[in-house]
Amino acid sequence: MVAKELVLKAELRKKLGSKHSAKVRQSGKIPAVVYGHGQEPEMLSLDEHDFVEGLHHGHRLFDVQFEGKTEKLLVKDIQYDHLGKKIIHTDLIRVDLTERVEVEAPLIFKGTPAGSHEGGLLEEHLDHLEIECTVTEIPEAIDVSVKHLGIGDSIHARDIKLPDGIKLITDPDALLISCRLPAVTAAAPAEEAAEEGEEPTSPEVITERKPKEGEEESEK
Amino acid sequence: MALMPKRVKYRKSQRGKMRGNATRTNYVAFGEFGLQSLETKWVTGRQIEAGRVAASHFLERVGRVYIRIFPHKSITKKPLETRMGKGKAEVEQWVACVRPGTVMFEIGGVAENVAKRALARVAHKMPVKCRFVSRRHTIG
Repeated sequence: MVAKELVLKAELRKKLGSKHSAKVRQSGKIPAVVYGHGQEPEMLSLDEHDFVEGLHHGHRLFDVQFEGKTEKLLVKDIQYDHLGKKIIHTDLIRVDLTERVEVEAPLIFKGTPAGSHEGGLLEEHLDHLEIECTVTEIPEAIDVSVKHLGIGDSIHARDIKLPDGIKLITDPDALLISCRLPAVTAAAPAEEAAEEGEEPTSPEVITERKPKEGEEESEK
Repeated sequence: MALMPKRVKYRKSQRGKMRGNATRTNYVAFGEFGLQSLETKWVTGRQIEAGRVAASHFLERVGRVYIRIFPHKSITKKPLETRMGKGKAEVEQWVACVRPGTVMFEIGGVAENVAKRALARVAHKMPVKCRFVSRRHTIG
């Protein structure tokens, strides 16, 4: 766990809409919305550099200063651009330090599985767990060792040992990671067919009229 | 064999326009690493197949390759030295419409450096500029 609180300075956005949001982004800021605790939502703009730095250092909880007040805000959602590179918007939710919240914690699989030495393939099925914990206890990530995984072995959500005070929300039977022998790829027959020199056929057309037997006879 | 649909409602389609960026298939969903398009273009079934072969040949049956695009769109072409008119020509190829942000290929079960080299080989087969991307953990 990392130091959880970081102070950010924000400004209230008075002009709303996509056009004004684009201008906010051009000035090196990120549009944000603050909501929660039954209060009116507020539109803010955060400094992009400070916010992204904070996220990279594992912060989820921010002390945001705006309009002469400071609020404790938790990152609820982040929107990225079409390339997934740049943050274009963020949702921040008002929280108390004693409040329990449901969050997604990323899973980090560590080690080389024993089965991989026998040709096993490690398949990740889920890369995060939904957990419930107090705001101050949100883990940056959950480390899972996969060293002991042999071929045919798997790790489920119920197998993860969570620290005290953290409750699992994800289905305990959910499969997280498994090690298995690679299946024969479906494309292999296609390669064989190509070698045999079979020409690709055109697809079946659903709406195409098929000549009836009676029509054929009349034509003859 | 190049990819093509098994069943279609209509054999020939209009060319259409590809505006904007990818709003779906724009994140790594199945594997751990992916190849993302930075341009808008048609990617033919043959190019997709060439990419798959390049990746699976490099990986030597280690790891898994996921193809995230499929050529649903038929493209017709008139034969050479043919006069205009006489109706729409016959189907020549099948293409996938790729926009900036589309994750075209994914690889799982291998180390990052291996995936990077495999996807670099795939990128050579693609008609678009590409970049290597890895799975991003969600925040919420």
